[in-house]
Order: sequence, then C-alpha cells, then structure tokens
Amino acid sequence: MWLGLDVGGTHTDAVVVDENGIVATAKVVTDHANLIQSVQKAFEQIFRSYPSDEVKKKLKRINLSTTLSTNAIVEGKTENVGVIVSSGPGIHPSHFKIEQHYFPISGSIDHRGKEISKLNAEELRKAIDACKKDGIKVFSAVTKFSTRNPSHEEQIRDACADADFVTLGHRISGKLGFPRRIGTAYLNSAVWRLFNAFADAIEKNLVSMEIHCPVHILKADGGTIPLAEARKLPVESILSGPAASTMGISSLCRIAGDAVALDIGGTTTDISVFADGEPLIEPHGITVGKFPTLVRSLYTRSIGIGGDSAIVAIDGKVQVGPTRYGPSMAEGGDVPTLLDAMNYLKKISHGDVDLSVRGIERLAKEARISAKQLSLMAIDFAFTTIKEAVDALLKEVNEKPVYTIHEMIEGKVVQPTSVYAMGGPSRAFLPLLEEKFALPVHVPNNYAVANAIGAALARTTYEIELHADTERGKLSIPNIGKFESCERNYSIENAKIDLINHLLSHLQSIGISITESDVQIVEASSFNIVSGFYTSGKNIRARAQVKPAVEITLYSRNNA
Amino acid sequence: MIEAKRKLGLIFFPAFDWAISPTHPEREERLLYTQDQLWEEGIFDIKGIVEYKPDIASEEDIKRTHFCIPNVAAVITQSHMISAGGAIKAARLVMEGNADRAFALVRPPGHHAMKVVHGNRGFCNINIEAVMIEYIREHYGHRRIAIVDTDCHHGDGTQDIYWHDPNVLYISLHQDGRTLYPGSGFLDELGGPNALGKTINIPLPPMTSSEGFLYVIDNAVLPILEMFQPDIVINSAGQDNHYTDPITNMNFSAQGYAILNDKLNPHIAVLEGGYSIQGALPYVNLGIVLAMAGVDYSGVVEPDYHERAIRQDKSISEYIAKICDEAVRNYKRFHESFSHHRAIGQFQTRVKNIYYDTDGIREKQVESVMICDECAGVLKIETVSSVNPLSVGIEIPFAACSRCRDVGVKLFREAKESGKYAYAKFINRIDREYIDS
Ligand SMILES: [Zn+2]
Ligand SMILES: [Zn+2]
Repeated sequence: MWLGLDVGGTHTDAVVVDENGIVATAKVVTDHANLIQSVQKAFEQIFRSYPSDEVKKKLKRINLSTTLSTNAIVEGKTENVGVIVSSGPGIHPSHFKIEQHYFPISGSIDHRGKEISKLNAEELRKAIDACKKDGIKVFSAVTKFSTRNPSHEEQIRDACADADFVTLGHRISGKLGFPRRIGTAYLNSAVWRLFNAFADAIEKNLVSMEIHCPVHILKADGGTIPLAEARKLPVESILSGPAASTMGISSLCRIAGDAVALDIGGTTTDISVFADGEPLIEPHGITVGKFPTLVRSLYTRSIGIGGDSAIVAIDGKVQVGPTRYGPSMAEGGDVPTLLDAMNYLKKISHGDVDLSVRGIERLAKEARISAKQLSLMAIDFAFTTIKEAVDALLKEVNEKPVYTIHEMIEGKVVQPTSVYAMGGPSRAFLPLLEEKFALPVHVPNNYAVANAIGAALARTTYEIELHADTERGKLSIPNIGKFESCERNYSIENAKIDLINHLLSHLQSIGISITESDVQIVEASSFNIVSGFYTSGKNIRARAQVKPAVEITLYSRNNA
Repeated sequence: MIEAKRKLGLIFFPAFDWAISPTHPEREERLLYTQDQLWEEGIFDIKGIVEYKPDIASEEDIKRTHFCIPNVAAVITQSHMISAGGAIKAARLVMEGNADRAFALVRPPGHHAMKVVHGNRGFCNINIEAVMIEYIREHYGHRRIAIVDTDCHHGDGTQDIYWHDPNVLYISLHQDGRTLYPGSGFLDELGGPNALGKTINIPLPPMTSSEGFLYVIDNAVLPILEMFQPDIVINSAGQDNHYTDPITNMNFSAQGYAILNDKLNPHIAVLEGGYSIQGALPYVNLGIVLAMAGVDYSGVVEPDYHERAIRQDKSISEYIAKICDEAVRNYKRFHESFSHHRAIGQFQTRVKNIYYDTDGIREKQVESVMICDECAGVLKIETVSSVNPLSVGIEIPFAACSRCRDVGVKLFREAKESGKYAYAKFINRIDREYIDS
C-alpha cells in the first residue's frame, strides 16, 4: 500500500493505492498559514474510509509532492544567499550574477580538472565577511569544472565555517553547465530553510499519528528521493506536478512503443512523450521561473488550453484560452468555454447543457456568426493548438543534436502510435482527439485522478555520471561525492561496473534497496588521450540511471 | 541570462566515432574538449544561440561540385556527407532567415579537396565549403561570394575549385608554403584567365602572432572585401594558427581569433583544421562562437597564454606590411581594369601534378578552360592517377553563358564517343544535369 500526498496547492490531496487500485482518497482546502493542519485533515479523511490501523500497518511509503519550493521561487519569497563562484577562461562570471550577494573569486580549473590557478583566499575572506555583515546564513559555492575537480568548492565551503548551510555545485549533478550550476545551487540554498521547516513539521506530524513508513519527495523526473536526501537537495522538489501525471498514466495503461500522453485540466494541457514505453527525460534540466537548472525532469510541455478555457471571438476569428475566467457555463460560470462549445454541438453532455447553449448563442450573436460555426471554430482552434504543440515537441525531440555518425544514421525517431489522455475532460475529448491525431486514443478508467496515482506509485530515481582520466589517474562521480584515483589501464568496462556498484551502494546508504537490473547504463564512451603521436591514456565518460518507474501497474484492472 | 546581439545557429557535429586512424590528428576526440567547454560555459542557454543537427548532404550535392573518380560513393563515407551537410545546414539557416549567422563546427574538414577527387588529401575528401557554396547558388540564386580562409595551411582545394570563377573571391591567410604543407599559396597565384585577382594569397612567415593576423585583416582582407562587395562572406575557420598547434609554427591566440572573427563578421563560418585539441580548440571555438553571436568574449584567454612569449618580431611586422601592400595592389590591378588581351573562345591549358598525402595517391591533370568574358568558362579536366585510369570531367559552370553551355555539351558528347576515358563526368549547371559514371 502506497500513499501519495500533494500539499501546497489550492487543495491538499491524498490518495491511497494498493494492488486493487485506489482504496481511499481525501481532499481538503489548503490552509497556507498552517500546512500541517491541512495534512492532518487529509489523513483524518483517509481514516474515515479506511481503518487507520490497517493503513499504518500496510503502508510501505508516503510520496510527498509539494509546490512549496516552486511557489517560493516564482513569487521571489526566498532567503538571501551568499553566492560565491570562481571562474576561469571563458564568459566572465559577472554575466551570471543571480542575486545581490554574488562574488566571483579568482581561481580556475580547466576542462580536464587541472588546477590552473589557486583560489584567492583573500578575495574569498572578503566576500564571506561582506555576506556576514548583511546577516547571510546560507551559501552556495560554485566553480567552473567543479564536477572534474571539486577542491575550490570545498575550499569555499570550509571558509563558510559558521554558515547554516552551503550548497556545493558538484553535488547537484555530474552534468556540465556552469551557469545552470550557479542557478541551481543558488535556488537550493534559497529554499533550504523553508523546505526543512516543512519537512520537520511533516515528520513530527506523522510521528504523532504513529505513521512510521519512509517518506519520499516527488521529483520532476517522475521519481522520488528520501526526505532526508531532499533536505540537502530541496531544489529537487520543484515542478513535480506534470511528472506525477505521466507516471500515473504509465501505471494505468500498458504503454508499449512510442506514445504521447496528454493531461487535460481546466486551464492547461500537459504533454509528455513515451519512447519504447518509457517516458522521455529532458536532456538539460528544468527551468523554474527565470532560472534554467540542472534538475532532471521528464520531457513535458504545458499549453494554455483546457476544458474551462474561455472562448474569445474577435473579427470573425475564434480563439480558446489561455485565459480562464471560471468554470464552464454548464457548471455555472459566466463565460462560455471549450466544454460549452462541445455541449452545444452535442459532442458531450456535461452539466447543465441549456446553460451552455444559451452562453454560446449569446457570444455568437455578439460575434455575428452562427452558434454552430462559433462552436466548430472554437473546437477546431483548441484541438489544432494541442496537435501543433505535440508536433512541435516531437520535432524538438527528433531534432535533438547527436554527436556520432552512428546516431546520425541509425538514430531513433520517435513516432507515436497511440495517444493516452487523462484529466477531467479527457473522456469528453476522446473522439475529437482521435480525429485530430488520426491515432487510437486511450482514456483509462481512473482518468481524473491519474496524477494522484502516479504520485503514490512513483519509485526512486537516480542518475550518476562518471568521468575518468587515466592519464591523470583521476576518477569522479560528482553528485555522490566520489573523487578517487584510477589505474592507467582503467577501461570503459571497469567504468560500467563501477557505476553500477557505486549507484547500488549509494542508494543502500540512503535506505533504498534496488537490484542491479534496475540500473541502466545510459551512455558510455572512451576516447584516447594522445600526447605527441602516442596514446598516453583514456578519457572515459559514462552515465547510469535508475529510470522512472511505478511500484505496480493497475492496467489489468483497467479498460485501456 | 545573456542575450546574443545576433542570432547564431551552431551546428556542432564532433563525429565522436570517426577517425583517419587512432593517433592521427584528425581523430575521434578532436572536438571532445571543445564540447566540454561549450557546455560548461552554457553556450546553448544564451538567448539567440541555437544548436542544430546537421543535414546529410545528398549525392547530388557532391556531384554538382566535384568530379569524383571513379564515383562519389567510392571516395566518400557517411562522415563526409554529414560534415558537408553541416555546412549546408549552416547556409540554410542564414539564407532562410532563421539565423543571422551560422557556424558549422563539424569534422572532417574539406579545404584541401580539389575539383577532382581520387581520395583523401590533407585530411579532406570533399570540399565542404564548396559543396555548401554550390548548394547556396543552386537553391538561392546568383550570389557574389567571398571565402576568407584563416586555416594555417593554404586551402589549395578551395583555390583549385574557384580558380576560374570571377564571382567567388578566395582569400587565404596561411603559413608560407616554403615552410608548411601543401607548399602552395604564393602571392602570384591570382586565379585563372577568367578570374584574375579573384584568388588572393597572403603567405605569412612562421611565428606570426595576433598582431600580424589582425594587421592582415585590417590592411588587406577588409579593403579587398570592400572593393569586391560580396553578398555573402564565408570564413574557413581553421584553428591551427594557434601557438600550441602541434603541426604548424604560428603564434595566434584565442583572443586573436575572436577579434579576427569580429572584424571579418562572416555570415557563415566552417571549421577547418586545428589540432591542439586541449590547449587551443576549446578556447578558440568558444571565442568564435561568442564573437559571431555578438557576446562579450574578452574573458576567453587560454590558461597558459603569455602575450610576451608569443609577441612577433619587428622584422615579421615589416615583412607582413609589405605582403599586404602587394596583395591589395594585385587585387586592384584586375579589379579596376580587366582589359588585358585575351583570346575569347580559345582554351587555356595548365598541367597539374597533385599528391594525396593521406592516401598516397599521385594524380596528373590537364585542365583546359575556355576564355570567356561572360562567365567562368567551360572547363575540361583530363585526369589520371595511381589508382584510376585516364578519366575526364566537363563542367558548364554556374550561370554559364550560352556559348559555354553549347561547347560544354559538345565536349561531353565527344569525350563519351572518343572511348578514351575510363570515366566521363559531367557537371551541367545550366540544365542541372550531373553525370557520375
Ligand atoms: Zn590546416
Ligand atoms: Zn561563357
């Protein structure tokens, strides 16, 4: 039995899932001043429909998704951070200034991880003093190529001895990208206190309810990490919503081959893509507000069209969305929406159809076109927009740059053969989607709560990246803090074995037990290092992941 | 977030699975550290810089440019189709207005590949700039094009392909041919009878540093471009003039390359050579990318850069000034008056011996061009090499006059009927007929 808990939106939702599907749900209005009370109320609702003793006994894990960090970032309500960066040859770090307390320090490390010049201790001391004077308590330390050699970031951390928290850039991700590393490390420290206060309260709350199962945090890549880990990397908790839906659909439907998944809500439609039955991961990292980050995420796009998107008619042109003024007229709203147009054309019968008809007729009269034409145009606009957004996303996926002749010639082309739809209006949308996409469209039974199911059933994901330079005798797996020496004859085969072993033991150390078969080597390459005309070593790069997956699939009980 | 002043399309294709041989300078990891540097700098998060996948060039793209003996398929591999396709993609981005500037950061390179191809010379099989230029002319019409080749080696292939073309200006800056492969590119190589002055060579002495290169740009290249008035400027952006390059003897720097690019402001740059894969390429490429996008590149300095250690000698500066004067004078002479006596309608012939260093092939050519005052002139090349028997290629050039077209059709028919040639190739740009048999 697994529990998904979504805290922080308008509503706090909880859903309990076991092999039979959903066994209990709860929905309470979130009291933002007292989140913990909202959580407590949600549990009380659950216990009303399912005995609390049973829940406490059978519950294997709670997956928590929260918009707490995201909202704080988007609204700019985060703590001030002392951001200390070093640089090296290239774009001047002043271009990446992210907040007031931003200090580039001289010192540099090159692309192979060699220290080119020492970190300037005097400049560093002055920077920290300036932060202290302004009462800064949390810091981020980011240096160029720190994934190859973290020593400068460590020196910065050591110099911030009495800080409450310091984010080290290389512990976020093994990926290259100095500006993104700066942004991500900054955000991580900026939400650290807020997130930890929330985590403290949740944990206290659960203890008081005598619930002792592990608590995980849902991430944007469709996976989870233990709460204890998320306390150090709270930035991982951002923008997990769309991923929950994608994981939900992969539990509810047997997705084989290439597919598109649509989560259709009141105001937006989230698009995600499956290749060979697995959700695609975005290659760089998610963008939150104005910050591109290194936070791993599923490949999703959101467009401003949903069932409640308002219809606007100007000069004979009809548009739908992105604005929502309220529910559809069929549900008592004031402005006709996409759902009302569908009601008018008798494509669906949703709520009070008469109200829809009246609203559409009124708008049509104002626009001097027939009500039927208005409805047809609105529907065509909406579904054309969705289709175009899907096509654009697929184009982007398929035009993703590749770097070998093999991939250029043999590279996989994602060509969806089916569409999966979830979210409130999806059943109503089905025939129109089928018409537009000319593909079979599946809508699972529990389509309205797919995201809650996904949140409850998502499993741990993790990604590590190895870089070995046998000429220098150095090996690194930055985000788990492994920096070791390696032998001259270290090979790509050694690297693959090391990746698997390190990933398994790291996950074990944070309380996750998985087996070797859950680990996937995503890429591995080995290059000669040539000095003069002789091979003097190898430069090896390899990456492994525990890919997004759900605990159990529910599709045997589903019609899709 | 940094914003680019000019929209830059970047085609980055390092061909990580292709090498001439494992320790050859043209090997898999040539652009590995460049990729590391570009990614770490966050180049693709700069607003206005977009990374694109290369196109794959078609056989027709090659056939319209080269005479491949025995045929296209035999002398090229997929790697060449992709690097040429990368250059084509760069051109398309600019021509179709999706980018202001484009940089094809691709390999393998091309500027030693000549009109006739029997194999690989100077690490090149097909001339990717020429394939791109002919693509531009075929698809976007008649254009006046200038190529500025800043590779350390003389681009003898590009020179050969455009030797007769009065609408393509080829300027090459390179280490003096008396001291470096391929041993050509002297001041007096000025183009064929129909295109005199449209080939300009600026051979530079070993140890020329940034000061010398930038002097040439300011005092020779830019004044000549100003007179030629090209529609499109292309930079063959070789990076082997760098002070750390293992196979050359120059003292150019990443800052220098960036400033050069800034001054030249090419529409399209195409990577050529450059074999200091750790010490130079990451920084030089970064500098060129930033300069093309109009982003501050002042921080792009190699870790081991010491201005004083590579400063050029005064005697070098004086020598370069003299060379520049002469190059400009040569260009002006034919730019202002082209009235020397020419026997219109007659053929002028030259004999060439060509060595393919990479593949060890020897080739002998007899090249005849018809003297014409209306177009580049119909071209006939008879070729024999250590790997192929006597063959022939006839070209009716781009925008040929009707006389040259008619003569070309007749020459090809006669060549076929003569039975003398193992292979007879035909490039007919007027009727878009390309015969590769
Ligand atoms: Zn070269
Ligand atoms: Zn002519």
